[in-house]
Amino acid sequence: MKIKEGFRMRSILDAHMVVPEGPGMEGYNKMIALNASAAYLWENVEGKDFDVMTLTSLLVDKYDIDQETASRDAAKLLGEWVEAGVIED
Amino acid sequence: MRTCCEVAGHKFSIEFPESYTRVPALAQYSPFTVEPDSSDLLFSLEVVESLPELDLKLVYDQQTEPGETKIRLFRCRQGWYCESAPTSESPVAARFLMSEDFSKGILEITAEGDPLFALNNSLMIQYAFSTASKGTLEMHASVIVNDGRGYLFTARSGTGKSTQSRMWLKAIEGSRLLNDDNPVVRVLDDGRAWVFGTPWSGKTPCYRNESAPVGAFVQIRRCSENKATRLGVVESYANLYSSCSGFKSDRAMADGLHATLAACVSSVPCFVLDCLPDEDAARVCCKAVKNV
Repeated sequence: MKIKEGFRMRSILDAHMVVPEGPGMEGYNKMIALNASAAYLWENVEGKDFDVMTLTSLLVDKYDIDQETASRDAAKLLGEWVEAGVIED
Repeated sequence: MRTCCEVAGHKFSIEFPESYTRVPALAQYSPFTVEPDSSDLLFSLEVVESLPELDLKLVYDQQTEPGETKIRLFRCRQGWYCESAPTSESPVAARFLMSEDFSKGILEITAEGDPLFALNNSLMIQYAFSTASKGTLEMHASVIVNDGRGYLFTARSGTGKSTQSRMWLKAIEGSRLLNDDNPVVRVLDDGRAWVFGTPWSGKTPCYRNESAPVGAFVQIRRCSENKATRLGVVESYANLYSSCSGFKSDRAMADGLHATLAACVSSVPCFVLDCLPDEDAARVCCKAVKNV
């Protein structure tokens, strides 16, 4: 899966949000707030193909957490992104 | 016939051919007129009898509410082409071609089109697009100046921006209307955001060549009680983002707008005001914005 074309992450100081800026997105009226770890994941999968395993690995790499916790957090976050409509297969 | 104007520190010219028979009255531009041979113009708009043939690719077709201005934006070899109509049911009034960098605009006013509408709408688009990378936002808001600060009320059309301004004029002493529909916000070199009056004020003829530092941005929402809530960074950004003009699908424009939005959100408090259309709403709002 990938992040849908046109969604960009914008940052102000330590606040991060996903903004719909692509062609044809003028009717999309939501912005998604990302916390620091979600922003880290987004930055690292932007423009690339990825799955829940990719996100899990990234979390394990960066944070001092075990595989199982990372896997749960990754799945939860991915679920939120899918529900927000920013992911395509 | 050539007029030069300056709005929020950006200069532009408007030109009609000498033979043109439908020159509209340009009274709303009078307070903004500057010397006619200014060399530091940001852009020029020239009215012509007809545009050349264009090879067009549609990039934006606005979904309008009934009664709202209808805009369609295209790309072509020469740059950008825009058609505007007063509503989605009306015929096209303006056919407007802009160079790639928006510095040169040529406007054909259609036979069915109202010349003033065609001119105003095209100028506003050209202004927004050419200033997007220059710390400037053309906003959809109503603005009150009180005690040396500008307070911008934002909301979708018909929600109550103008009403909030009217309530301030009635209930909060020392208030003055700066603009009722399309003010310009500009972040100056020192990082401070200022709000400027413009020649474009919707249905209210409020054309003031004045400015004030921005005191707060207030999003208006209809509610059964009056309550002001301070917004966090992301919500503030979202509010301003949806209230400013610009073609966000163009990467350079989006980057420029973002930089200005970020500067505004970092330096100016933003609120949401849930309110009734009454004077108490203005008092609640005033108390919130002044107690920051």
